[in-house]
Amino acid sequence: MATDLIAVPSTAQRRVPARRRREPISGRLWHFTSFGAPGVLVYACFVLAPIAISFGYSLTNYNPFNPPARFVGFDNYVLLFADEQFRTALGVTTILTLIVVLVPNVLGLGVALLLDRKGWLYTALRGVFFTPVVLSSVVVSIVWSRLLDDQGPLNSALRALGVEHPPGWLSDPDLALYSVASIVCWQLLGFCVVVYLAGLQGVPAELLEAAEIDGAGPVRRFRAVTWPLLAPSLTINTVVLLISAFKTYDHVKVITNGGPGSGATATIAFDVLRTGFDANHVGYASAMAVLMLVIVAALTTVVLRFLRRREVDL
Amino acid sequence: MRRSLALGAALLLAVSACSVGTSTGSGDGAEISFLTFETPNLTPAYWDAAIKRVTDRNPGIRVRKLVSPTADGRTSYAKQLLQSGQFPDVMIAVDSAGFAEAGNLYAWKPEELGDFQFPEANPVRGAYHQLPANTQTIPPVYYNKKLFAEAGITAPPTTWDELVADAGKLKEKGVAPFTIGGGKDGFPSSMILSGLVSTEVYATAPDWLTQRRAGKVRFTDPVFQQAFGRLAELAARDYLDKTSVSRDYAATEQAFLDGKSAMYPMGNWFAANADARKHDFEIGVFDFPTVDGKHVVPAYTGGGVIVNAKAANLEAAKKFALGFQLDKGQLDASVKADGLFPAVKGYQPPADVGPTFKAGYELYRRAVRENAVVHAFRWETADDGLLPGMKDKVDQAAQDVITGRRSVADACAFLDAEWAKAG
Amino acid sequence: MKRASWPRPVLAVLVAAVFAVPLYLVLANVFKRGDLIARSPASPPLPPTLANIHAVLTRPDGLFWVSLTNSLLVTLLSILVLTVLSAMLGHYLARSAKRWTKVLTLVLLAGLMIPPQVILIPITDVLRATGLMATVPGLVLFNVGYYVPFGVFVFGGFVRGVPVELEEAARLDGASRAQVFWRVVFPLLRPATASVLIFLGVWIWNDFIDPLIILGPGQGTTITTGIYRSIGQYQADLGSVFALMFLATLPVLIFYLALQKQFVKGLTGGATKG
Repeated sequence: MATDLIAVPSTAQRRVPARRRREPISGRLWHFTSFGAPGVLVYACFVLAPIAISFGYSLTNYNPFNPPARFVGFDNYVLLFADEQFRTALGVTTILTLIVVLVPNVLGLGVALLLDRKGWLYTALRGVFFTPVVLSSVVVSIVWSRLLDDQGPLNSALRALGVEHPPGWLSDPDLALYSVASIVCWQLLGFCVVVYLAGLQGVPAELLEAAEIDGAGPVRRFRAVTWPLLAPSLTINTVVLLISAFKTYDHVKVITNGGPGSGATATIAFDVLRTGFDANHVGYASAMAVLMLVIVAALTTVVLRFLRRREVDL
Repeated sequence: MRRSLALGAALLLAVSACSVGTSTGSGDGAEISFLTFETPNLTPAYWDAAIKRVTDRNPGIRVRKLVSPTADGRTSYAKQLLQSGQFPDVMIAVDSAGFAEAGNLYAWKPEELGDFQFPEANPVRGAYHQLPANTQTIPPVYYNKKLFAEAGITAPPTTWDELVADAGKLKEKGVAPFTIGGGKDGFPSSMILSGLVSTEVYATAPDWLTQRRAGKVRFTDPVFQQAFGRLAELAARDYLDKTSVSRDYAATEQAFLDGKSAMYPMGNWFAANADARKHDFEIGVFDFPTVDGKHVVPAYTGGGVIVNAKAANLEAAKKFALGFQLDKGQLDASVKADGLFPAVKGYQPPADVGPTFKAGYELYRRAVRENAVVHAFRWETADDGLLPGMKDKVDQAAQDVITGRRSVADACAFLDAEWAKAG
Repeated sequence: MKRASWPRPVLAVLVAAVFAVPLYLVLANVFKRGDLIARSPASPPLPPTLANIHAVLTRPDGLFWVSLTNSLLVTLLSILVLTVLSAMLGHYLARSAKRWTKVLTLVLLAGLMIPPQVILIPITDVLRATGLMATVPGLVLFNVGYYVPFGVFVFGGFVRGVPVELEEAARLDGASRAQVFWRVVFPLLRPATASVLIFLGVWIWNDFIDPLIILGPGQGTTITTGIYRSIGQYQADLGSVFALMFLATLPVLIFYLALQKQFVKGLTGGATKG
C-alpha cells in the first residue's frame, strides 16, 4: 500500500538485494527468527488463528446459551444465501463502500488542488480538513446525529429558509444510508486532502512550466503532467478508504443502530456482531464472518492487480 | 531513539502493573462485581449511594461496580461479557432469558423470595432467577393538559376510537398528537405497538407469546395483524411523525417536555422525569385505551438483579442482591429517581413523590384491585417473552410500518421469519 | 503566470467553513452553558464558560482520568511495540525476495481489510486461552497483531529506498545484523516511523469495540468507550458530552501537530526529497 508512494524515483529504489553468496541455513533461520518471527507470530495468534476458529464455528450451530453445539456442515452457508437480512447487509456494505471510496477521493483531490499554495492561510485550512481524521468515530457520530436531527440545526435552518418538510436525514429509510455514508466521507476527506497535497508537492514545477510553454491549458496540464504523477497518492487513498469503508461499524452503531427499520443501514460488520452477540447465534454469525473474509480476499486480489498494473513493486 | 523506546516501554509496563478499577467497601472480605447502567435518572452517584447502603450493613462484602456502555444494551453487554469469560457476579435489570436456560444464573429458592409480592414472576423453565423487584406499567399515555384543553378535549380517551378522534382534533389544531422516538434506543418506536398487542391480543390470550414459542400461533395470525394494523392506521392518518424514528430516547422525552406534542405513550419510569424536569404545562396520564373500553393494563414485574450461578463468592453475591433489592432506602431512591413501583410486600412509596408518579401509581393500584393487569408485550424477560434478539426486530418492524417501508402483513411476516431464525 | 489572486483564498475559506460546521458545533458547545445547548446548539458560546470542562475533570468517579490513563497506556505501549516489530518484519520482507516471503506479504495485506469485529469472538477465545483476557497486555498484543501489517507496509516500502550497499558495508565492518538495522537503517526510516506512529496512534486511541470487549468492564474504560458510556448519563447534559469529546480529542490532535511535518514526508517518502 504505502509502498509505491514511498518507493519512488530515486535510483536506490529499484535495487532488490544483490544476490550474495547464500548464507548458511542456520544464519538465515536466525535472521527470520530475530527479525520476522515476532511480528508474524503475533499476527498469526490474533488474526490468522481467530479466522481459523471462526471457520470452525461456522460449521456448527454453536450458541453459548443453547449447548451443546452440533456439527452442521455447510448448512449455515446455505441458510445465509437465502437470508434476506444478510442480502440487505451485503447491499448496504456495497453501496457504502462505493460511496466512501469514490467521494472523498474526488472531493479530496479538488480540495487539495485548491489548497496547493504556500502561506499560513493554507496551512491553517489544511489543519481544519485534517482534524476529523483524528477524531474518534464515536465523537463524529454523536455530533452528526445532533446536526441531522429533525429538530437539529440543519433542518431548523432549512425551515427558516422556507422548506416546509425538510428531509428526515436519518429517519427516512431511503436516505439514512446516504447520510451515514456522507458522515464517513466527511471524516475521511481530510486524509485524502493531505495525501494528495503531498503528491502535488512532488510534481516538479519545471515540468508544469515546460508544458505551459508548449501551449498546454490548465486542464491539459493537469491531465498530462499532474494526474499521472498523482497515481501513487490515488492508490494509497483508495486502499485506505477501502479498508475503512469495509469495516464501518462504529458509525452505524452510534448513529442509527442499523435502522431505521429492519436493516436500512446495517453493514455486514454490524450484522455479524448483532447476530453473534444479541441473538446468540455464534455459528451463524461466524458463517457471515467467513463469507465476509472471502469477499475481502477477493477484493484484496483485485486491488493488488490494480497496484501491479501501476507497476508497483510489492 | 532506540534507547528511549526501550526506556519508554519499560516505564509503561511498570505503570500498567497498577490496575485502575474502583471498588467500594472495606479492605478485606468477599469481593463481588456488580453490573449497573447509567441513565439521566440513574447517575453514578445514585449507584454509589445504593451500593454503600448495602455494604455499610454488610461490612464483609466489597463491591466492584461495573457499568454497561449503554443503558439499553445492557443485556447484550452481559452476553458479551459471558462469552468473553467476564460474566459479572450480580447484574441489575439484565434479562434472565437465555442466561438462565444455559445454567448461568442462580435459581432462587421460594423461601428466599418470601418478601416479594409476585415471587412467581418471570419463570424460566419453572425456576426463578431474577428478583421480582418492581413492576412497571408499559405504556400508560402521558398527555399535555394544556394542549388537550386547547383542542377542546375534556376527558382523556378510554377507547381506541376516542383516542383516534382526539388525535384528529389535536391534528386539526396543528398539534402533533403523539411523541415517538427510536434511533439507537429502538424502544420508543414500539411503545404504541406494545400497548396495542398487550391490550388487544393479551386481553384474550394472556399467554400468547408462550403459545408463539410452542408454535401454536404466529405473528401473521389475524389477531396480531389487526392490533399491529392500528399502528399503521395512525401512521396513515399522519398522526405519527415519521422523522422521529431516528430520535433517541433522551431527545424524545425532551420533545414531549418542550410541549412539542400532546401525547407520550411511555413506560411509567417517565414519571420520575416528568416530576423532576422543567416543563411549563401540567402532565396527566391515562391507561392505554382499549378497543372495547375494557379495563386492561399492561405491566410487567421483574427488573431486579440476577446472580451469576458460578460467582466466586456466591453467598456474598446473594446477600448483596437481596440486601440491595429489599433495602427501604434503596426502594425509596428508586421510586424517586426512576419512577419504579416496588413489588415488595408492605412497601409504601414515600409521601413526597411527585404528582405524575402518584397519578400513575393510582392507575396501577386500580388495575391490581380490578385484576386487569396483563403482561406488557416486548418487555417480558423470561420464558413468557420474545426469543433472544427479537426485541430489536419488534422495534424495527414498528419503524418499518411507521415509515411505510413495509405493510403490516409484510412486517408480521418479517417477524415470523426472524423468529424462525432466532429459535 | 500572474492572475487575479483573490478567488482562490476566498473559495478555499468558503469550502473550509462549510466543512468545519460540525467542528464549530463541538467547539461552541464545549464553552456554552448546558441549558443553552439544547435550545440553540448553533449559537456562539456567549457568555463562554468553563463549567462543562470543569464538570468532566472533577467527576467523582474520575471517569475522565481513568479513561485517559488507560488510553495513554494502551496506545503508547501498542505503538511502541508495533514500531519495533513492524520495522524489523518490514525490513526482513523487503530484503528477502523469495517466493514464500511474497506470499507472506500477501497474507499480511489481506489482514488489513478484515474488520476486527467479525473475528472478535474467536479473538476473545485466544485471549482467554492465554490468560490475557481483560488485561492491558492482552489488548496491546491484539492491537499489535492486528495492525502489524500496516506498519510492515509503510516500513517495507521505505526500506526499499535505503541503498542495500549501506548495510553490506556495515556488515563487512563486522557489525551484527541487529546492529546494522538499529544503528544504520532505522535512523533513516524516521519519516516512516512518524507515519506509523501517527496512523496507528490515532486508530488505536479512537478504537471503540475492541477495548470495550477485550478490556472488559473491570479495567475501567478507554477514552472512546468512556464517552460512549457517559452519553447514557449525560443525555440531558450535552455540555458534559461535548466537553468530554473535546478533551478526548486534544491529546491526539497535539500528537498529530507535533509530528505533522515528518508524517507528510513519511507518506510521500522518496517522492519529495525527504
